[in-house]
Amino acid sequence: MATVKARPLTKKVEADLTGCYISDLLSDVLAHASPGMLWVTIQTHRNVISCALAKDIGTVLFTCGRKPDRAVLAEADAEGIVLLSTKQTTYEAAGKLWKAGLR
Amino acid sequence: MSATKQKKKRVRPAAILPESGPELTASAAVAHNAAAVRLEDGTIAATMAEGSPTETGMTAGKPLKVSVAQVLTYELRVRDAMTRPPVTGAPEDSLRTIQNLMKSHRISGVPILQNGAPVGLVSIEDIINALDQGHVNDPAERWMTRNIVTLRDHFSLVRAVAEFDRHGFGRFPVLNSAGELVGVITRGDITSCLMQHLEKRAEEVATREAAQTPGRARGQKLAEPMVLRAEVKAGDYDSAGKVSQRMRQILRMRGVDPDIQRRAAIVAYEAETNIIIHSIGGDLSVAVTPGKVVIEATDHGPGIENIDLAMQEGWSTAGPLARELGFGAGMGLPNIKKCSDKFEIHSEMGAGTRLYSEVLLHKAAPPPVKKRPGKQANS
Repeated sequence: MATVKARPLTKKVEADLTGCYISDLLSDVLAHASPGMLWVTIQTHRNVISCALAKDIGTVLFTCGRKPDRAVLAEADAEGIVLLSTKQTTYEAAGKLWKAGLR
Repeated sequence: MSATKQKKKRVRPAAILPESGPELTASAAVAHNAAAVRLEDGTIAATMAEGSPTETGMTAGKPLKVSVAQVLTYELRVRDAMTRPPVTGAPEDSLRTIQNLMKSHRISGVPILQNGAPVGLVSIEDIINALDQGHVNDPAERWMTRNIVTLRDHFSLVRAVAEFDRHGFGRFPVLNSAGELVGVITRGDITSCLMQHLEKRAEEVATREAAQTPGRARGQKLAEPMVLRAEVKAGDYDSAGKVSQRMRQILRMRGVDPDIQRRAAIVAYEAETNIIIHSIGGDLSVAVTPGKVVIEATDHGPGIENIDLAMQEGWSTAGPLARELGFGAGMGLPNIKKCSDKFEIHSEMGAGTRLYSEVLLHKAAPPPVKKRPGKQANS
């Protein structure tokens, strides 16, 4: 079965997913993602957390090996958001997530 | 003899190690800063002692009993508290010019930059000394303090407080990891940053308590209207979302339908980022009444040239930095409109923009976004 190898960055590492949304544009996520989805992005800025909170997105996967700085990690921990990082590209990760049954 | 000298030189105090080094997970990052320190302002430290300090990751070895304020001074960085962008002067500026800068920005010290690097600092004391001797029209470089001590923006506030105690200065210029001047920090900045975060923690505690004790105690307070107001600074991407997060907490506490909470959060967040990205600065106010949330965003300019264009999805005037950070999708205003039950926007070139949005709390409004094909149903 296809898996995405990702490294957990936050204390909380598990969450239920209702689907997945992929975008690097924050307003696009606000408009189109749904609560509980996995958000896949290359953005690692603090606003990812604000955006996830506004939309009740509990899990964010950073691709291409990107990782946010400690301030962002601390905020995610404080808000109970799961952050993950994978070396794969967004495209590869998307393919594997789809194959793994996240639809 | 020379060998020992060299050896000594190579030793760097652990405290000034840069951010590089082994990758740190979030919990390790907190523990990394754990060191015994005294908090300057005892009154703040004493006001709130939360029950479970273990949550904060401060338990290296045996559990420490620490106040929330102390934890915050470890967690928060100089960059969280500093004033930015810094108000600076040039070596050739007259002291009179610097004095006027201080007056208009209500600050008591101005770093002097030459070719982008800080070369000195003029404090109010320097100005008074010069005035005393009739030299107020001298260039700043003649009177400025040259041997300045700077802090790095990633230093913890604990470290900053220690530096204030050590040097007795009123302010420190703050450099980023590239050595560029990015802000100025005073003791006052630290106090207000702590107060702000304490208030947030207090609200979180209240939210948690309210969630645990349904019924009576909850009802009374929740009916009261509540207003959040915040100044929003141009380009301050790091602060974006703070008001909308606090508003979410309040709405959650009042048991508002999650979908309505989210719509209000989107309006507040988009309105806030609009001010940050597009204006020269402004204010965001959120009023929560029992019936609705009223979000008002006002900025001081420059104004929107063509509102019809700005309301179109995909149309954006955001600059390269904003786009790099994932803003500028051209969906801010359309998102706000979609999520609002009532929406108004007025703009005048040169004067500014005023955005008004209402989100009703009890209307079973349809979700703002159409269900898209292939989307999984949500709980």
